[in-house]
Amino acid sequence: MRGSLALRLVDAGSCNGCEHELTATAGPHYDLQQYGLSIVASPRHADVLLVTGAVTTRMLESLRTAYEAMPEPRLVAALGDCALGCNLLGRHEELAGPLEAVLPVDIRIPGCPPSPGRIAAALLEQLQQRT
Amino acid sequence: MIPSTPPDQSIERVDVAASDWRDACQAALERGERFCGAFAAGWGSAPRRWSALFADGASTRVLSTVPTGDELPSIVDLVPAANWDEREAHDLYGLGFDGHAPLLPLVSHPSDASSWTVPVEGEGVFEVAVGPIHAGVIESGHFRFHVVGERILHLDPRLFYKHRGLERAAEGRQLAEGLAYAQRACGACAVANSVAYALACESVLGLAPARELRRARTLLLELERLYNHLNDIAAVCAGVGFASGNMAFAALKERALRLNRDLSGHRFLFGSVEVGGSCLDLSAQAVDRARGELRELGQDTARVWREIQFSPSVQARLEGVGVLGHDDAARFGAVGPAARAAGVSMDTRAVSPGLWYGSSFTAAVPPGARGDVAARLEVRALELVEVFSILEELLRDPVRAGTASPDGAPAPIGVARVESPRGETVCVVEPEMSRIGRLHLRTGSYANWPALAFATADNLLPDFPLINKSFELCYACSDR
Repeated sequence: MRGSLALRLVDAGSCNGCEHELTATAGPHYDLQQYGLSIVASPRHADVLLVTGAVTTRMLESLRTAYEAMPEPRLVAALGDCALGCNLLGRHEELAGPLEAVLPVDIRIPGCPPSPGRIAAALLEQLQQRT
Repeated sequence: MIPSTPPDQSIERVDVAASDWRDACQAALERGERFCGAFAAGWGSAPRRWSALFADGASTRVLSTVPTGDELPSIVDLVPAANWDEREAHDLYGLGFDGHAPLLPLVSHPSDASSWTVPVEGEGVFEVAVGPIHAGVIESGHFRFHVVGERILHLDPRLFYKHRGLERAAEGRQLAEGLAYAQRACGACAVANSVAYALACESVLGLAPARELRRARTLLLELERLYNHLNDIAAVCAGVGFASGNMAFAALKERALRLNRDLSGHRFLFGSVEVGGSCLDLSAQAVDRARGELRELGQDTARVWREIQFSPSVQARLEGVGVLGHDDAARFGAVGPAARAAGVSMDTRAVSPGLWYGSSFTAAVPPGARGDVAARLEVRALELVEVFSILEELLRDPVRAGTASPDGAPAPIGVARVESPRGETVCVVEPEMSRIGRLHLRTGSYANWPALAFATADNLLPDFPLINKSFELCYACSDR
């Protein structure tokens, strides 16, 4: 993890707002790659699991599988208010979240959705702590 | 721009005996009405009802029936577009549909794959399972491809991984509280879903939006379309590995999001729509600044679009891929850019008297309308030109807080149809006293998913991401 972080996203029931903003952090205005932060295609390649959404019952198994597939040491980031359990909407029976009830959460990135700047700042802080 | 005159928008509810259900639906189709959704209502001890919506210009007819037992006659042979609606009602409300066989699970996720896939057999046929987690930053959903070599024979999509039960969770809430459920169904369609919900509530309450409110909502809808279309063109560029086009359109989208934040306080315009009014307030200085920014954005968009148009290696990757022809688009009930790219001249903005579109508004259909990836990309570029011109008009004067005023009696059902960036989104609200008895949201994405799955057949598996991006449907507001 020193000097770089490989990020893997799991959408566990978001509204797609957090995905739009995460994509923007890798886009031309923010360009997180220049700081050593990259979004990777597989949890097998990832240091950080970024999780969005309320964690639906239908995504629970896949989310756990992705987490188990990661090499250690690994970090879990709750990306956005839903993953953090703030103002959750939905039927109790359909939701397994918030994320904290399912996986140990190391990084909290609040916002609905968090802006690209906020996502970048939270991830860069992790990077600085580890270098 | 002269907005179309409001009247002539009615919502008529017709009760039909279960035995006459098919005849009533057939008669609606023969009158030239267009199926635009069906939904079940009633849970537990409440009597169950099944309703189908038929659009006729700006008016909507709601046919309703009460099943005598647990089963109703299916209309899926008359209206293939009702396929998902019937399957959803079976999974969530336990309704059976006689004649819809096999009635495959849609929202339910049984573990046995043979229970939800179409059997495809033959020499060299094998299955490729993709998702629900994808390699890119994409919403969750599963695709089961039946392929020979790299050629797709059939695709069974399995969505609803993100099903949060939003409609049921909204039941029993005050009408004003329900807005959050419609908005948060989907970040990228937040305005379209919210406006559809607000208009449905207002027809329930016997309110008509005044001019200023209609203008404010139209402004928000077009700002939403702007950033979505820019995003979707960027996504298609990414789908063919054209990095410079992807980055250029991603940069344009970022500028549109920043403009949204300046105008509404939120990059995705969350919280800007209300039931019965609007507090969007833009001074003369603010609208002038926005128009200046939009003019520059429009010029830059046109410039980058020309680069894509005159890049033969990009165009060669788009043409003839993922074809959805006119007749299939109509049969599957496709809407929005996907339908217009196939030559179906339909845009709900042309029949939206509750909003502020010019009476001369017409659907943008690209020349040729081949229904392939290239045509779906071209529709968005054509519509962007239109979006910039509509926004220029709407921002000519300051925007003041708008209201809705009493206009007739409260109604037992409200239905609103709004053109989202992905097509017609239909919202139904049935009140119970002053609360939500039933909320149903059938978005443009929901309408288009079966057409997308159909359009993938006979294409190469590696082209699926490109075909998928050219429709750019939401998972969140389909799953709800």
